[in-house]
Amino acid sequence: MRGLDLDYMLGLVPVILGYVPLTLAMAGAGMVLALLLASLLAVERVFPLRWLDWLVVLFISFFRGTPLLVQLFLFYYGLPQVVSVLTNIDGVTAAIMGLTLHFAAYMAETIRAAILGVDRSQWEAARSIGMTQWQMMRRIILPQAARVAAPTLVNYFIDMIKGTSLAFTLGVTEMMGAAQKEAAGSFLYFEAFLVVAIIYWGMVELLNQGQKRLETYLNRAYAR
Amino acid sequence: MIAAVVTLVLGSAAVAQDAPTLRVGMSGGYFPFTFVRQGVLQGFEVDVMNAVGERAGLGIEFATMSFSGLIGALESGRIDTIANQITITPEREARFAFTQPYVYDGAQVVVREGNAGIGGVEDLRGRTVAVNLGSNFEELLRELPYADEIDIRTYESNIAQDTALGRVDAFVMDRVSSAQLIQESPLPLALAGAPFSEIRNALPFRSDKRGMALRDEVDAALTALREDGTLAEISQKWFGTDITSPD
Repeated sequence: MRGLDLDYMLGLVPVILGYVPLTLAMAGAGMVLALLLASLLAVERVFPLRWLDWLVVLFISFFRGTPLLVQLFLFYYGLPQVVSVLTNIDGVTAAIMGLTLHFAAYMAETIRAAILGVDRSQWEAARSIGMTQWQMMRRIILPQAARVAAPTLVNYFIDMIKGTSLAFTLGVTEMMGAAQKEAAGSFLYFEAFLVVAIIYWGMVELLNQGQKRLETYLNRAYAR
Repeated sequence: MIAAVVTLVLGSAAVAQDAPTLRVGMSGGYFPFTFVRQGVLQGFEVDVMNAVGERAGLGIEFATMSFSGLIGALESGRIDTIANQITITPEREARFAFTQPYVYDGAQVVVREGNAGIGGVEDLRGRTVAVNLGSNFEELLRELPYADEIDIRTYESNIAQDTALGRVDAFVMDRVSSAQLIQESPLPLALAGAPFSEIRNALPFRSDKRGMALRDEVDAALTALREDGTLAEISQKWFGTDITSPD
């Protein structure tokens, strides 16, 4: 046993915090893109198009069925050997792409389940007063589906934030990569990785607070 | 692309420079050649490249990435050269244009303190040995006549830590940074035997027209830095000895 070098840890906190914007930018970009893609996939699954449906099913199956790390290596180290244009993709872009595709597959299932979970009577009521398909989805179904899907989607966002730490395997210096390099110079591995763990933990706790507020907001129509 | 947007979001747009830029790749995890303290990239390689940039009138832009990815990044044009103790080997000379050597070093076996069972490279039979993935030391080990009796483990980083923790019996790295590591780090390590292979390290460039032109510029700068004593000075600062010229 040796004591913790607390001075070193305190000195490292601002250094690692400096990489928080990059982590949030990667996760934020990934989340926006994944939500868009997942919504498209989910709507396709709810209203299937015969020739597209098997492709969507295949996509979801592959990206849910393989580890994120394997997908990242496929994009960044593998594909450029086959498609030379992709050599120009940098680590950050590859990480965002990987996170987007991986989480879109999961989110698509969540959104689809939420849409299908809205009670049949709601669909029938919307149709009976003459709403178009689009009006019905936008005004009746999706607001109710969002309420059901939101907690799970926020959980995926949290997973995505933690997933960005894998970008260091693509040579991106983010929080984990920075800690790894600091440890290579100081040999205080435990302290360096502990600082990273605590900062991630703090970020996720803050997000949990936000999630509670979001749920309250989405449930406002149901408040008694 | 997306990364460009992210860069804009972060507001860390690159500063425009008048001088042509040399993009230098390094791992940032090879003490004391290239490492990070308090977010500042530093080390022998950083000092040498900055001196080269000053002498040749080139702006120096460092890019850190995993060691095993450096060669690929050089080939694909993501960087112009690698400053990470790249050893000149026949295979690499066939693919890249090297400058003159700027470090003369040797391959060294390092063990955990108190491990008397390993006195040098000949004692590695039946042992587990850590080396950096894609490094010349991995090659050197595999070329030994009894290589198939050694359990060679390749790592991206932290070979010293795993040896100190007793997860492997030894690691192989260059003599200079091994000695420095033992002196400066808290890890309980010791040199095992004498260096077992002489190595000369230089800066590799792509062997296309632009790469060759850059190589010639940088090589001339190295010659000037050697003659005016700057190389020896940088070496003294980091190692307390001159590793930049042959003994």
